[in-house]
Amino acid sequence: MPVRLHLDRLLVQRRMSLAELADRTGVSAANLAILKAGDARALRFSTLDALCRELACQPADLLTWEP
Amino acid sequence: MPIMRTLGPGSLSSFMKAVLDVVWGLLLVVLAILGASLLYGVLAAFNPAMPFARLVLFEGLDPLQAWAVVLARLGTAVLFVGGVLTIVSSLRKLFATLKAGDPFHPDNVTRLRVVAVGLAWLELVRYAVWTLGALLPPQAAPDRPNLSLTAWFSILVVVVLAEVFREGARLRRESELTI
Repeated sequence: MPVRLHLDRLLVQRRMSLAELADRTGVSAANLAILKAGDARALRFSTLDALCRELACQPADLLTWEP
Repeated sequence: MPIMRTLGPGSLSSFMKAVLDVVWGLLLVVLAILGASLLYGVLAAFNPAMPFARLVLFEGLDPLQAWAVVLARLGTAVLFVGGVLTIVSSLRKLFATLKAGDPFHPDNVTRLRVVAVGLAWLELVRYAVWTLGALLPPQAAPDRPNLSLTAWFSILVVVVLAEVFREGARLRRESELTI
């Protein structure tokens, strides 16, 4: 899929672990791992909202489209 | 009066699964009896010394011809019961998932397709029996079957249902990967 989610890069930049992000956002670590691996089919606005809030970023920082 | 649930333990599906289990067991017994009878018939047809070997069922037929008719009918019954057993077996597995509250299990698509093929098989066996019945002596030939529109319509309904379940399974998989 040409839409990529750069969760791993943002986690490194914010020096945050996946478990900590899971704890802060309320999204399970298993689901975040699916997101990180790029295996997710769809992303809810509520999840995007929680990720942007806790990672202090814009959706465009998380998502990019590659043709 | 409380309405009986259709899915999950203690539901209508649960009751139907129990009924299908009983029917499946009975069909297995019937198939075993038919299979044993078929085997005995083949042996008896060529060995007049065996008990009941000198079969006189139809006027004007010698025992070998009579056995040919009986074996043809037994063979048809085996094919028919085998088809019904296949359908019931698939339905048992399908209803087990309904009992578990998981109707859109991916395997249910194949199970419904097996049911559709099984129903078509039963219809085709009817026509094949009539066609091949022309080879039998006239007094033992089967009756001409009616074209059952209800049966073929049911087959098409099951085929469409299989596609509905395939779409349901796809949506379930997508929802599992929606985060």
